[in-house]
Amino acid sequence: MSGTEKTAGIEKRRGLSLDAWAVVAALLAALLIRAGVVPRVPW
Amino acid sequence: MADAIAIPQTQLDRQLLRALRLLPGLLLLATVGYAGKLLEQNAGAFAKANHWAAPNIEYVLWAIVIGLVVSNTTGVPDVCRAGVATYEFWLKAGIVLLGARYVLGDVLRLGGVSLVLVAAELAVAITFMTFLGRAFGLRPKLTSLLAVGSAVCGVSAIIAAKGAIEADDEDSSLAIAAILALGAVALFTFPVIGHALHLSDQAYGLWSGLAVDNTAEAIAAGALYSDAAGKFAVLAKTTRNAMIGFVVLAYAIYWTRQGQAKAVGDKAAFLWQKFPKFVLGFLLISVLATWHFFSKEQLTSLGNLSRWAFLLTFAGVGLQTNFGVMRKQGLRPFAVGAIGEVVIGVLTLVGVMAAERWIGF
Repeated sequence: MSGTEKTAGIEKRRGLSLDAWAVVAALLAALLIRAGVVPRVPW
Repeated sequence: MADAIAIPQTQLDRQLLRALRLLPGLLLLATVGYAGKLLEQNAGAFAKANHWAAPNIEYVLWAIVIGLVVSNTTGVPDVCRAGVATYEFWLKAGIVLLGARYVLGDVLRLGGVSLVLVAAELAVAITFMTFLGRAFGLRPKLTSLLAVGSAVCGVSAIIAAKGAIEADDEDSSLAIAAILALGAVALFTFPVIGHALHLSDQAYGLWSGLAVDNTAEAIAAGALYSDAAGKFAVLAKTTRNAMIGFVVLAYAIYWTRQGQAKAVGDKAAFLWQKFPKFVLGFLLISVLATWHFFSKEQLTSLGNLSRWAFLLTFAGVGLQTNFGVMRKQGLRPFAVGAIGEVVIGVLTLVGVMAAERWIGF
């Protein structure tokens, strides 16, 4: 488990968790859409 | 001076290499997902042109089925495994973006109903799975992992509980295999049951969010029924996911008292660490959408972006499911999980139908 240290049930991570990265990426994408950098996302 | 420059370069190289390692798997996820989207668009048109009476099969099912076929025939190439494993990331990013399609009032109203149903589901699932595990003579920590996985949110909860209760690798891989196998079964059985019972989108979505354990499978099961049902499944599943820290903490305290796990020092830090942060992201985007931070076109774009993220997720669900590997894990944990899931599935279905009739959500 490189990058993590376990003490009494709590893992101390050096970086952001996958969860947090997903939130950051989604919020960044939302801001880019809001700012008009990405004008339209088609489906 | 030269050394000072060389260190960041090495770190950069390492990060670039790590990112490059993800590319083949990401490409596979995109190919499988997009093939599912193309099939949704073209299979229906082809059937119609040939006057065949065929149901419209959504990209969700196509992507999962293509992924399952690849995983269980040729297998996922080793070079693609790291990239395919990113499907959890796309799932969480997709849920956060989906928050744009909810008005906060709906989240609070339906979240309140979900919370009551989740509380009942947690109590039933933990009690019943513990009883079943003992009846089948499973190891106590394996029983705890199965109970956590069934009650809260599948694989993430099992991984969180594994560290907290100091379960061994074999127990956690058995519990994960059982939960994933049952999730795969739910993908194909839940929509059939929902249609047979003529459940509304709300009732079906809440049911799949409450009864299917792993988040990706719960949301896929909801989306297989209808787009609206998928939204309700996300809401119920997100409410359930928010409970992960409390349930894992309770198990950690229990196993500490049994003298078989380290004591949890700072309980607030423990809860924060286990709390799924994407729930907060989902709520934040929902608040912004409610305050008209985004225009109507921007909300559509956010919804579409969320669908692209889910497209990669559903491809990953299929590609990560290998029945051969699951079969090797043994029958007893699977049997306990299966019996538990049937009982939890029936009880949550009754709960949701009763809530719909009496509360009228």
